Amino acid sequence: MSSRRDFLAQGGGVMVAALAGTPTQAARRTPMIDCHAHAGHAPALTDPWTTIADPEEILRRNREAGIDQSVIFPISNDTFEKANQEIAGICRKFAGHFIGYAKHDPETEKGRIRAMLIRECNELGLRGLKLHVHPGPEVLDTVAELGIPVIYHPARVALIEEISRDYPTVDFILAHLGADMSYDWREHLAAIEMARRHQNVYLDTGAVVLTRYIEQAVHELGAEKIIFGSDEPEVDCRLEIFKIRMLELPKLQEEKILGGNLQRLLGKYRGKAA
Amino acid sequence: MTVIDAHALAGKGISWAEPQREVNYDPAELVERSIAAGIDRVCIVSPRSADYPAANQYISNVCSRQPERLIGIAVHHPQREAGRIRQMLDAEVKSLGLRAVRSDGHPTRELLDAASELQIPVIYYPNRKRGAGPGRWYHMIASTYPHVRFILPHLGEYCSETWWGHMEALDLVRRYPNIYLDTGGIGSLKYLELAAKELPPERILFASFAPELDMRVGVESIRLLHLSPERHAAIMGENMLKLLRNS
Repeated sequence: MSSRRDFLAQGGGVMVAALAGTPTQAARRTPMIDCHAHAGHAPALTDPWTTIADPEEILRRNREAGIDQSVIFPISNDTFEKANQEIAGICRKFAGHFIGYAKHDPETEKGRIRAMLIRECNELGLRGLKLHVHPGPEVLDTVAELGIPVIYHPARVALIEEISRDYPTVDFILAHLGADMSYDWREHLAAIEMARRHQNVYLDTGAVVLTRYIEQAVHELGAEKIIFGSDEPEVDCRLEIFKIRMLELPKLQEEKILGGNLQRLLGKYRGKAA
Repeated sequence: MTVIDAHALAGKGISWAEPQREVNYDPAELVERSIAAGIDRVCIVSPRSADYPAANQYISNVCSRQPERLIGIAVHHPQREAGRIRQMLDAEVKSLGLRAVRSDGHPTRELLDAASELQIPVIYYPNRKRGAGPGRWYHMIASTYPHVRFILPHLGEYCSETWWGHMEALDLVRRYPNIYLDTGGIGSLKYLELAAKELPPERILFASFAPELDMRVGVESIRLLHLSPERHAAIMGENMLKLLRNS
């Protein structure tokens, strides 16, 4: 359990002040936010991401890296109602340190997602949606109404083409610059191209091993389209933030990537959906 | 502390990493980047090539121009070059000054006999099916050739494609005293932390896999382990220096 002193010492207070618009000196600093981390339990016990992701492990590394907050969402489950409740609970327990997103599977939870997601945002305080499975209108209409961002890790980058065109008001954050662990460098190039064509597609930098593609993305797209992420706790946020810092960008650009861009997207939350 | 990058790339060829592509790694740029990253010496190896004798000659030429900065490693394809490897490797070590050999394919007795006689380390990253770890490919060679020192790159799994590839690599090191792990191209740092915590520190070798990957990230990965100065110095260069001294 983190104490209030702990919370304030680690920048949680800064984040709260910044979001609340308190005109303090500290509030003018853009908070550093990791847009991609996992937390909670899963039942399968076959891989780290179907077993447990410990939020305290994330907090320990965040402190060292100077990260103010992490966006957390569940690890792999078949359905996510309970897992999303766990995320909300972690956010309450470590108040100020985490921003909770829901996760859903548009196939296994088909027909129930709209009601769950509205409740998860309006009642549990979750502020975005993580997807691995391709979404249909049920998910995307709800997301558009709520005004929450979607962080999407598709099987192939091309899958984001049509939905980003059909839902121009929804902000899509394409995870891992299109290829986790840079498993295929061609997917990084496809992701950069996708973000260039669609104003509502952003790229998350987590778990990119071929770091030259992060540099290429920033150079070709501008800092506005790039959002720092790590994929904690499987991937170390300290090293992932180093990959941004070593670009040696002008301060304002770096601040956008490390938190400013995501803060702007989170500010679009409208609350109650119809 | 002497910092030695145990595994970097130079010259023309086809990338080791999948999906393959044509590459042309500039050694001058590599040296420039290594200096900026605080690396004293870099072990360089050719990318995949259809003509390893020529590629090894190129590596030797590059190293001879900057011997204080570069250390050359030969590459051979044990199956394609069968029958000629012992003679070629002998000349490459004794005349061209190369100090280790990378095996492009599962090492044969011919390659390992030659490495044993020349007392040079063998770098071998098993080219296996997706999802398979490196364990199966190492048990026979490591037990049959206990005097050959093997370097398994990428902590056993390039870009941390599977977590169990790293775990198998750690187990191999525990079982065989002649297996070493290099640290280049690891996506999930927690397995390097496990290695640093559980394995004898002399069996871990700092490597970057530059310029395919950024040297600065490789250096930072080791720094983030927060090791004692002695352990840090061992991993960053002393271990590789000892391996090369014996060759």
